Amino acid sequence: MTAVSFETAVSAGLAREAQVRHRRYIKQAVWGAIAIAVLWYAAHQIKFSPYAVAAGVPFMWDFLTRLFPPDLSYMSVLGSATIETIQIAIWGTLLAIILSIPFSLLGARNTTPHIIVFHATRVFLNALRAINELVFALIFVSAVGLGPFAGVLAIALHATGMLAKFVAEEIESVDKGQIEAQLSTGASRMQVILFGVIPQVIPSFVGYSIYRLDVSIRSATVLGLVGAGGLGFSLIQTMKLFKYHQTATCILVIFLLVLVSDWICGKLRRKVI
Amino acid sequence: MLMPNAQNTTTMLSVRGLTKSYGGTIHALRGIDMEVKKGEFLVILGPSGAGKSTLLRCLNRLVEPTEGQIFHNDVQITGNRRNLRAVRRDFGMVFQQFNLVRRLSVLTNVLTGRLAYRSSWRSLFYNFPQEDKRIAIECLARVNMDHKAFQRADTLSGGEQQRVAIARALAQQPTVILADEPVASLDPKIARQVLTYLREVAHELGITVLCNLHQVEYTREYAERIVGMSKGRIVFDGTGAELTDDVIHRIYYRDPDEETAEEK
Repeated sequence: MTAVSFETAVSAGLAREAQVRHRRYIKQAVWGAIAIAVLWYAAHQIKFSPYAVAAGVPFMWDFLTRLFPPDLSYMSVLGSATIETIQIAIWGTLLAIILSIPFSLLGARNTTPHIIVFHATRVFLNALRAINELVFALIFVSAVGLGPFAGVLAIALHATGMLAKFVAEEIESVDKGQIEAQLSTGASRMQVILFGVIPQVIPSFVGYSIYRLDVSIRSATVLGLVGAGGLGFSLIQTMKLFKYHQTATCILVIFLLVLVSDWICGKLRRKVI
Repeated sequence: MLMPNAQNTTTMLSVRGLTKSYGGTIHALRGIDMEVKKGEFLVILGPSGAGKSTLLRCLNRLVEPTEGQIFHNDVQITGNRRNLRAVRRDFGMVFQQFNLVRRLSVLTNVLTGRLAYRSSWRSLFYNFPQEDKRIAIECLARVNMDHKAFQRADTLSGGEQQRVAIARALAQQPTVILADEPVASLDPKIARQVLTYLREVAHELGITVLCNLHQVEYTREYAERIVGMSKGRIVFDGTGAELTDDVIHRIYYRDPDEETAEEK
């Protein structure tokens, strides 16, 4: 390449760089404008108002002073409610773990028996995820009556939606080489799943399950609001009876429970992954 | 029994007019005809994209050919999906990336070579009959890997993993081993070690080997017979002595005029 043509190539490259850069600026400006418009309209619709916050401060202060000090003697009463919350979370999550095994296999493109089954499973799982635990709890309270078992079922269904979807995506991203090797031995579909797919997804499956237990404990603390057992029930009861010092104790116990569960689950997850 | 040499002339595989195209535009195989004798160590030589992998995967039906027939021991194995598992069981496969299940033990990996002999329900509990364990350990011993049977597969070096992969293929008690670039991710010393194991074990057990390679050097050293492939066609079929520079040129650098003619 001669010196002249080399120079031409370099200046052409620089010109192209400037062109690409300008196009990027325009793109950023357009998307930025769209984002601002959307946020502005949303703020208007939801009556976003710093003034309302400022005006509400005295009322908030009034509520807080009624909460304080928490009635620590009430803690002994909350012990059984706390244990019940954990029990709801554990059973709900366990049922979800069991249910998510078949649903994740049916809902992954590479293990589903048919593409229609795949789409149907994903729609079903999305429905489970779309419906909040509190809504499920309301349904189950009317089905199996007030109490913690309704909470267990509510958590089981919602958690199945989440776990199965996560695990299905994990199944879809397994190493294809390991699968091909199993297929080439003449293994059946089920054997390929057992020996090729499952060993690859086990660590993330366990990781997601522990994470889900943590989420379930948090969910279980509010299920009592609709009568499905646990700490939420004490929370709403003390509030309705205007025993705000006891309500404060409930909030404090919920906070401690979430803190401890986050700490333990985090430790467990690090151990597995 | 009376004629021990008779089996050496028996045809193991017979491929006729095999083509594979994807979407009618990409032609991986453009009409392959070949015969492979029992017990032969055949190297398929060619550059990447010549269709070597596709050819091997057509033989054990991982890839469905577009046209053509494959006969294995005089039985047609193409066009019938019913006995797919039995066909695959008869073809052991060794891969470039080893493809061991990384989180399973070496022994369990070799035992997966026995899956086609067992029902799915039996496999559900991840246990194998004593006989299968015996076969698996024997196969590991053949490649001198029995001392690492209980280690996880991903703790082994590349060469060791490939030896375990050979043991897995042997556990199928196959008549043919298909090796797809088995040494492409290994250094030269380990590569020769793996190829030596492959050749010797296959020889001892009378297994036919079809081995894809892109290195001329290894091909000359190990092949009893060489098939040269280029752009989905067989362009050479002969021995190492016949593999002249001219032939190599024909395999690796085909005339560009010819290429453009073929694209049409």
